[in-house]
Amino acid sequence: MIGIVSYLVFFFVIALILGVAVLGLNLQWGFTGLFNAGVAGFMAVGGYATAILIGPSREAVAGGFELPFVVGLAGGMVAAGAAAAVVGVATLRLREEYLAVATFGIAISIQLVALNWEYLTGGTLGLIGLPNPAARFAEGPLARNVLYLGIVVAAAGLAYAGLGRIVQSPWGRTLKAIREDETVAASLGKNPVRIRLEAFILGSAIMGLAGGLYVGFIGYVSPFDFKPILTFQIWTMLIVGGSANNRGALLGAVLVWAIWTTSGFIISKVVPPDMMAQSGALQAVLIGLVLVAMLLFRPRGLIGEEEHVSRHVRP
Amino acid sequence: MNILRDGLAVAAATAFLAVAGSGPAAAADCTIKLGVVLPVSGPMGLVGERIADTGQFAVDVFNDAGGVKGCKVEYMLRDTQGQSTVGVDAAKSLVDIEGVSVLVGAISSGVSLPILTSVAVPSKVTQISCCSSSTSFTALAEEGKTEGYWFRTYATNRSQSAMGALLTADKGYQKTAVIYVNTDFGVGLAKQFEQDLPKLGGTITKMVAYNEEQQSYRAEVTSALEGDPDSLFLVAFPVDGATITREWLSLGGTPNLVVNNSLRSADYLEAVGSKHLADLVGYDSAQPRTDSVATFNTMFEARFNGPPDGPGLHSMFDAVTVTLLAMESAEEISGTSIRDNIRKVTASGGEPVHPGPEGIAKARELLAAGKAIRYVGATGPLQFDENGDVQAPKLTWRFEGDRNVEMDYYSTEDVADLIMKLDN
Repeated sequence: MIGIVSYLVFFFVIALILGVAVLGLNLQWGFTGLFNAGVAGFMAVGGYATAILIGPSREAVAGGFELPFVVGLAGGMVAAGAAAAVVGVATLRLREEYLAVATFGIAISIQLVALNWEYLTGGTLGLIGLPNPAARFAEGPLARNVLYLGIVVAAAGLAYAGLGRIVQSPWGRTLKAIREDETVAASLGKNPVRIRLEAFILGSAIMGLAGGLYVGFIGYVSPFDFKPILTFQIWTMLIVGGSANNRGALLGAVLVWAIWTTSGFIISKVVPPDMMAQSGALQAVLIGLVLVAMLLFRPRGLIGEEEHVSRHVRP
Repeated sequence: MNILRDGLAVAAATAFLAVAGSGPAAAADCTIKLGVVLPVSGPMGLVGERIADTGQFAVDVFNDAGGVKGCKVEYMLRDTQGQSTVGVDAAKSLVDIEGVSVLVGAISSGVSLPILTSVAVPSKVTQISCCSSSTSFTALAEEGKTEGYWFRTYATNRSQSAMGALLTADKGYQKTAVIYVNTDFGVGLAKQFEQDLPKLGGTITKMVAYNEEQQSYRAEVTSALEGDPDSLFLVAFPVDGATITREWLSLGGTPNLVVNNSLRSADYLEAVGSKHLADLVGYDSAQPRTDSVATFNTMFEARFNGPPDGPGLHSMFDAVTVTLLAMESAEEISGTSIRDNIRKVTASGGEPVHPGPEGIAKARELLAAGKAIRYVGATGPLQFDENGDVQAPKLTWRFEGDRNVEMDYYSTEDVADLIMKLDN
C-alpha cells in the first residue's frame, strides 16, 4: 500500500512537471496560435540554466554557484525567455508550418550545443550531483518526494493561476484576436508582431521552469533528457487535454502521462515473460491506439476552449 | 495469467519434488523478482531486445539449476523507450509496486544515471548495468553519491591511459610529448595519461590537441616538438593519425611512438609505411582468455542458434548472473545485502565458478557450505573496484613487416592491479 502511494507521488511529480510545460505551450499554441515545435529545446535551456546555478562547483565546467533552488528556477525561466526572445525576433515573422520547422531546428541545435559546449554543459557527461531541494528538509525517499511534489504543485498552481489571470486580461483577449485574424487585430491598433513575441517569450519561460523542476528532481541533467520525443509528448498532452484551456492542459498532462506509463505496467502483466523483450512495439501501439481513440471521440480535447474570456461578457 | 503461471510453477514444483525425492528444496512455489529496465523499443530497441533476451536467458539458466534460495526468479522487464522520464517511472514502479530490490539496466547512461539518482540510491536498491559507459558514474561514486549501490559489468575506458603510461614507462622513455584528438574520448584519455605517466616515472613535455579532418597538422606537430621529447604518445584515428605521424617524422620527431588502440589498423600502417614504424608500440582490448567465456558462447549458441556477437550480450549475462548469485549468497533479499554480496561473490580468493547449470549448482553447494566463491563469467573474472567499475583484459602490440603482432597479454587482474597502483 505504502508502495503504491510512494509510486503515485513520484508519478504526479513528473506528470505535473510536464503539465507546467504544457501550460507554456498552451499560451503559445492554444491562445496565440504559435506552432512551437521546439518545446524540448526551451526546457533544455531552462534545465541547464537551473543546473548551472544550483550545482556544486566542478573542475573544467562553468557554474558551481550553489544558489538556492528558487533562484535557480528563476534563472532557468529568464534564460529560456531570453532564448525565446532571440529565436522569436528571428522567426516570428514565419507562420504556422514554417514556424514549426524553424523551432524544431532550433530545438535540435540547442541539444547539439548542450552536447558539445563542454565548459557550460559538461557535454555528453552532463552535470551530476545537483542538490535536491527537498533533501535538506526531509528524510527518506517518500517524504522527500512528497515535499518535492509540494514544490511542483506550487509551481504549477502559480503558473495556472497567473496564466488564467493573464488570458482574461485585455492582453489575453488580444492574443485570441491575433490567433483568429491578425489583420483585424492590426486594424484595431494592436501590434501583432510585438504581442506574439511577448506570448512566445512568456510561454517559453514557463517551459524553462518545467525544465528546471525536472532537473532539480532528478539531480542530473544531460542532453539525453531533451530529445525531440519530449516535444511530441507535450503536444499530445495539450491536444488531448484541450487546447486553449489551462485546466485541459494540466488534465491532458496527467492523463497522457498515465497512459504512457501504465501501458508498460499493463503489458508486463499480460505478456508472457519470455515474450517481454518483443513487447516494446506493443506498448507503442497501445499508446497510439488510446491517443487516436481519444482524438476521434473528443476532437476538441477533453475540456475544450471556453467561449468567453472576459468575465464582463459572461451570459 | 498470474494464476496460470503460479499454477504451473506449483505443478512443476510438485513434479520436481516427486521425481527428485530427497533433493534440495528447489523450485518451490515462491518467486523472487528481478527488476530489469531496458530500451526494447525506440532507436535502441533492436540492441535492447537482444540484451533483454540474454538477460532472460541468464535467469532461465539459474531457474533450471533450481532458482535462488529454492525460489523461482521472475524476470520483470520494463521498457525505457530510451527516454529518461519513462525509464525513471518504470524503475520506480518496479521498486514501489513490484517490490524489487535490484534493478538491472539501463543501456544509455542518460537513462541509467537518472534512475540511479532518483530511484535506486534513495530507495537503497542496487542497480547494475550491462552497458552504460559514461565516466559520470565513476565521478558520482567518488563523491560518495552512489553509496555503493551502483555496479556495471561494462569495462570502462580508465585502463587506456594506464596502458599507454605503462608502455611508455616500460620502454624507458623519459620525456614524452602527447598529441590527442579533440573529442570527449581523446581529451578524457589524454588528461588521465597526464596524471598516470609521472606515477610510473616519466615526464610530459607538451600536451597538444588536434581537430579532426584537416589537411596538415604541421602547427600541432611543431608545437609538440618543443622541449625535445624522446617519445610521442599519440591518441588518434587512422587517417589523421597517419598525417600526424608522417609530419612528425619529417620534422625530425623521434620514431619512439606509443599509440592507442584505434591505430592498430592496416590503413594507418600502409599510409605511414612499415619501415618508419619499427619502434612503434600500442595497446588494445583483448578477449578474456578463460574457459568461462567459451562455456557461455557454447550455451548461447545452443539457445539462440547464433553466436553472441552483439553489443552488451556478454556483460548483460554477467550482470544478471552475478546479481542472482549475490541473492543466493545474501541472508535476506534486500538492496543493501545484494550490494554487499555482489562484492562477496566476485572477490578474489574465492573458489571460481563458471556460467551454466553446473557452475551454479557448484556455487550453491559452496555457499551452503559457507565457502567463498568467485564468479568468472562471460566477460571473464569480474573485479568491481570501489566505484563499481570493472576492467577488461588488454594486450600490447607492434608492427612487424606488413602486419601487427601481439607482444603481451594483460589479464583483467593485471589491468585492475595497474589501475589500483596508479590511483593510490
